[in-house]
Amino acid sequence: MAGTDPIHQFVISDIFPIATIGGDGTEGSGLHFAFTNSALFMVLTVAVISLFLILSSSGRKVIPGRAQLLSELTYEFVAGMVRSSAGTAGMKFFPLVFSLFTFIFVANMFGMVPYFFTVTSHIIVTFALSMLVFITVIIYGFIKNGASFLKLFVPAGVPGYILPIVTPIEVISFLSRPISLSVRLFGNILAGHITLKVFTGFMVMMIGALGALGWGASILPLLMAIALTGLEFLVGAVQAYVFAVLTCMYLNDAIHPSH
Amino acid sequence: MAKPPDTEGRNAGAREVTRDLASRIASAKRERDVEDNRASKDASPEMSGLARGLRIGTEFVAAILVGAGIGYLIDLGLGTSPWGLLILLVMGFAAGILNVIRVVAQMNAASPAPPGSDLGPDAEDEAER
Repeated sequence: MAGTDPIHQFVISDIFPIATIGGDGTEGSGLHFAFTNSALFMVLTVAVISLFLILSSSGRKVIPGRAQLLSELTYEFVAGMVRSSAGTAGMKFFPLVFSLFTFIFVANMFGMVPYFFTVTSHIIVTFALSMLVFITVIIYGFIKNGASFLKLFVPAGVPGYILPIVTPIEVISFLSRPISLSVRLFGNILAGHITLKVFTGFMVMMIGALGALGWGASILPLLMAIALTGLEFLVGAVQAYVFAVLTCMYLNDAIHPSH
Repeated sequence: MAKPPDTEGRNAGAREVTRDLASRIASAKRERDVEDNRASKDASPEMSGLARGLRIGTEFVAAILVGAGIGYLIDLGLGTSPWGLLILLVMGFAAGILNVIRVVAQMNAASPAPPGSDLGPDAEDEAER
């Protein structure tokens, strides 16, 4: 029953194929590139953000209208976040943090629209985003600080004979960052959408199985689904915020590597 | 001092203007610092309990996974199975604890306990005994 299958919403389907590299021409062999529903919603997300920001800031009024105020508030919110976590020196990464925040936020909000695909419910998408942050931190850290960036793995004030134990632990802790960053976003969104679908699926099943009694009983899952919908909007916003804040903190490590 | 008097007068005027500008820049900077401090205080809203729990959980699990992964790769490369996996798994566990301690310290710093609340016995209480 596809109607109540909670996993069905995450299926990726091709909209139009682009190319297949290698393989012997049979189904499923070689590297298959296609414009999928996931890609469509990524493009839509970027288009909506760009259009909104361009249109709302094109007036450039001294006294902003509603749309301009909204985009200015978004700017101020992200700028304050970058300044407080990474200092004024972190403002050169403002475009990166702003793009990540708005992309995740709008993608999560898109995911709440019925029949829309949720881009951030696939771990490869969130992992790519977090690897982007991780690699930026490593490259910028080495360019800015040179070899002294490695001091990040040597906490200050630790006696020399403990260092062989502490340094590998610090390295593992550092390497775990992109994984925890991506799993948190992906897990929250995936779990939320599955629970939402399960509860709404209960309603359909109850009505199908119990008839008139089911109509009355399905009020309970309906109430739960309404509450969960509100919670999901909150989770989507909070996770975008958390991702952006942690990006700022990791960038702060690259800018000032001493613990 | 071989300068003609008219340049002298202009310099004095220019100096006056520079001093005025410097004081205006300084006051603008002070205002901006105050603004920044206020912004940094405002920008740490209370995370919901669910978000906090998931954050701590993923930090802990991710470190263990990375440790085990590195250990597995070392075993594959050097053929030391199962020692690399075992040792690095324990290391990952330690790194997970370290992550959790850092996250919790950060959260505590973001929302300090209200003044006057009893935080349990500390060094001073120990000394009195």
